[in-house]
Amino acid sequence: MDIDVKSLHPLEIKVLLHVQAGEQLTSEKIQTELGYKLGQCNQAFSWLSAKQLIEETSRVTRIQYELTGLGKSVIEIGFPGERMFKLLQEHGALPLPRIAEILGLDKSDIGSAFGKLSKQGVFGMTAEKQAELRKKVLPRDLILARELVLRGADGPVENESLTEEEREVIQSISKKRGAAGAPFRVVEREDIIYTLTSAGIEAAAVLRAKQITGEELGTVTQEMLASGSWKNKTFRSYSLNAPPSRVLLGRRNPYAEYLQWVKDKLVSLGFEEFDGPLVETEFWNGDALFMPQFHSARDIHDVYYVKEPAYAREIPQPYLDQVAAAHEDGWKTGSRGWGYEFDRDFTRRQVMRSQGTVLSAKQLPKAEIPGKYFGIARCFRYDQVDATHGADFYQTEGIVLGEDVNLRTLLGLLKMFAEEVAGAEEVKYVPGYFPFTEPSIEVHIKHPVLGWFELGGSGIFRPEVTQALGIDVPVLAWGLGIDRMALMHLGLNDLRDLFTPDIESVRMRRGK
Amino acid sequence: MPKIEVLTETFYRDLGQKYTDEQLEEILPSAKAELDGRDDEAGVLKIELNDTNRPDLWSSAGLVRQLKTITGNEIPFYNFFSNEEEEFECAERIVEVDPKLENIRPFIAAFAVTGKAVNEAVLKDIIQTQEKLCWNFGRKRRSIAMGVYRNDLITYPVQYRAADPDAVRFVPLQMEQELSLRQINEQHPKGKEFGHIVAGFPLFPFLDDANGQVLSYPPVINSADIGAVQEGDSELFIELTGTVHDDVLLAASIVACDLADSGFTILPVKIVYPYDTDYGREVVTPYYFQKPAAAELTYVHKLLGYELSPDQAVKALKRMGIFSVCDEGMLYAVVPEYRNDFLHPVDVIEDIMIGHGMKNFSPIMPDSFTFGRITREEEFARKVKDIMIGLGFQEMMYNYLGSRKNFITRMNTEGAEYIQIANPMTENYEFVRASVIPSLVESESVSGNAVYPHKIFEVGKTAFLDAEDNSGTVTRNILGFLAADTAIGFNEISSTISAILFYLNRDYMLKELEDTRFIAGRCAAVYVGNTRAGLFGELHPVVLENWGIQMPTAAGELDLDLLLSNT
Repeated sequence: MDIDVKSLHPLEIKVLLHVQAGEQLTSEKIQTELGYKLGQCNQAFSWLSAKQLIEETSRVTRIQYELTGLGKSVIEIGFPGERMFKLLQEHGALPLPRIAEILGLDKSDIGSAFGKLSKQGVFGMTAEKQAELRKKVLPRDLILARELVLRGADGPVENESLTEEEREVIQSISKKRGAAGAPFRVVEREDIIYTLTSAGIEAAAVLRAKQITGEELGTVTQEMLASGSWKNKTFRSYSLNAPPSRVLLGRRNPYAEYLQWVKDKLVSLGFEEFDGPLVETEFWNGDALFMPQFHSARDIHDVYYVKEPAYAREIPQPYLDQVAAAHEDGWKTGSRGWGYEFDRDFTRRQVMRSQGTVLSAKQLPKAEIPGKYFGIARCFRYDQVDATHGADFYQTEGIVLGEDVNLRTLLGLLKMFAEEVAGAEEVKYVPGYFPFTEPSIEVHIKHPVLGWFELGGSGIFRPEVTQALGIDVPVLAWGLGIDRMALMHLGLNDLRDLFTPDIESVRMRRGK
Repeated sequence: MPKIEVLTETFYRDLGQKYTDEQLEEILPSAKAELDGRDDEAGVLKIELNDTNRPDLWSSAGLVRQLKTITGNEIPFYNFFSNEEEEFECAERIVEVDPKLENIRPFIAAFAVTGKAVNEAVLKDIIQTQEKLCWNFGRKRRSIAMGVYRNDLITYPVQYRAADPDAVRFVPLQMEQELSLRQINEQHPKGKEFGHIVAGFPLFPFLDDANGQVLSYPPVINSADIGAVQEGDSELFIELTGTVHDDVLLAASIVACDLADSGFTILPVKIVYPYDTDYGREVVTPYYFQKPAAAELTYVHKLLGYELSPDQAVKALKRMGIFSVCDEGMLYAVVPEYRNDFLHPVDVIEDIMIGHGMKNFSPIMPDSFTFGRITREEEFARKVKDIMIGLGFQEMMYNYLGSRKNFITRMNTEGAEYIQIANPMTENYEFVRASVIPSLVESESVSGNAVYPHKIFEVGKTAFLDAEDNSGTVTRNILGFLAADTAIGFNEISSTISAILFYLNRDYMLKELEDTRFIAGRCAAVYVGNTRAGLFGELHPVVLENWGIQMPTAAGELDLDLLLSNT
């Protein structure tokens, strides 16, 4: 067996060096000969046993009587019987309630002491119902009890050391499970005898050979450094693989870290971040995106409406007029429009932002050309909350404006995202549908872990969207479904876990 | 997005060849469709259609038509459409419209079919078409409803009239006794579902024939005799009513094309209106009303980034089932009878893109130079997060929607500033958080088993009522933080605030605060200059008790937008 003596604690080392092969090793021996406290002794034995350096050869159970708090006070003030005896000696006969009053004892304690000593003929009751003394000496059991509590003050009284008579007395004044206080409590002790195993003998030999004594220095203290007491001494080697204690640290949330990574990635690709309020109008949430006001996706069962204020005061001009005209007859965009009367009250209706594209639309009036913009936007959907749907969630969206952007640059952009953001191995484009883009493209990627999946949707904003918001160049619009990758990154499979309130699970969460 | 089921056998028979799932997944994207699943026991394929402006694809026949076009390169031809110049003979097949319908449900289109017995597959597809058309395209029957009848029981002319909802009675499908139209609204399951569409009018739409035999009460329910179509029927009468003429005509055209593709002969019906419509007072349906779509070839090139020749563009459209010609750089496309989704030249361009094949467009990188940058708010938030982490806090992230109970009641506040959702799905998500503190307190309440001390924070958004703003609300970037341990109190949090604001380089002052969430006298408002930028304090034991928290807890928040604007 290969013995790593470095992993031994000084308490173990001293024990190993102290006993000889075959010698009986007991707690008592180590306490007296090495000055260990009982606890230290137990620790040393338990560690050494676990390492199979010592082994148990026999085990004996013995009973001890330990003085309780009440026992200690009895030494000072005496047993109730003793005190009554003394009082009656001094005052003569007294009624029991009066005795209780003078001694400050419970009537029940006085009652039971009187009853017991009366039986032994020490006390008696006068015709006037007063307790009186009938013997001049205390009964033998009370004298023995006093001797026993005095012995108890020097340490536990061993059952083995008692006579039959003493044992009877001590048991009568020992606390039993569930009983009221008593001067003694019964304690069972196990005496275990160990001997060194062959590995233990070997370990002791190695310790001697390496001149390890167990007196090496442990923790470096300020005093040690100030006094120089460390000089000419050696430092104990620590066990390297002992489990270290846990540190609670301040830490980022790994999902937030992932989103930040995506942001930084997009910034590195030349995108500028945008942001906006959580409460939006139907105008920005749908109308400006050329979704007809009667579109099925704008149903009450898809969008959360704000109760109060239900309507925004106004929609900025000239965008309101231009968007309204684009819906009605196409305005000057070359479109025939949706051919219905645009509802200017409905457009002010306030909703919780339901799609990140809102921010893209709002960016258009202030966008630079050429320009690249993005946002990671919290969105809200009227959905049953489950493993794949949240009441609120993040969408990653953006736009690219430029005189020369077109379908092929859109495909290039998607390829760039697929490779840079998603680490895709292969990319596939298929026609898609979004109310605000034409043409529309979905990008599917082959991810090294997740396999084929839809990374995102994109397209070229319809001229009804861009021109009504003052932009005359093509605008590429895109959105990436990064939640799936975020879940994979975090080793989760339930969207609800991204926003868990559970502190411990967030503390323990690591990214891949 | 509509999902349809097609009978696998019929689908492949109509397509003229069987495809593996892989092959199917190759060709479905040309119809913006995806295979959503299959049920081999029932012998059906489940297919999801993504384009909400292409109701012609929402049936087995319609999807087959599109896929056959792109694989077989044949433009479908239908010989039963009337148009502005040419009208088909209808003989006695006439529908007369009541003038009183003009403001109720003014439009109807109809035709009869014959030549073949109706089998299970056809019936199933008709019912599916009816459902998808009327639900998704017809806005749950509001703008389009469809009825199918046994043509041999009908005596023309059919009357489309406005009827007294209490006087007119008939036996509806799925019932045995006669009910008035109003009783149908109250008692019949379809009445309960769709009756509201017309319930507000004094008269309800109603269809009966020359003998007063009832066809239906559109948009709600058919009659139990003429309106009860079964397998084996060989003559059907089909009508669609609605509020938008083009939509009604288009939906009728789609159904007619589907049935023609299934081998039926279409017999046109003349609709006679007592009022003017865009297509006159007499409209023979199915009616071709679409105008040609056009796109300049230079625009096609610009948008696609690829110089297709006129011939390539025409061929691409042909693969999509669209006949076109190119004349002096202008591409003119004849819109198919079953489509009406060409609003702008870009819509033609998308069909050219799909017809030409996605594979034939190679990606190129956008080459314009632009600056990348995060927002000032994000930059500031990152600085704040760094400080919080240095102070030993764990970053958390929370949902922004929650319940009155968690946001307001348990927090021992009035919650007057909270934004309420008008149409919550459940009371669990009925309010928008106006403060980060309830989110943090909820964390503490569910984390009693996590090793203490607890120090957590979030930088996120809150939104609350603010009459000053155009929307009556504001959204703010907020730092919220919470600490819970055996010896956490005002002083610890005050030190935290002091450290944060020191490193953010903002001078601050504390003022007394009255806030029932905190113990009075152990909370403070944080002022930066004259602006109240935050607050903190020891959470009141009432709040802790409400949440079942048994550890002293203190929390605070700082408005990062205010701090940022207050340098």
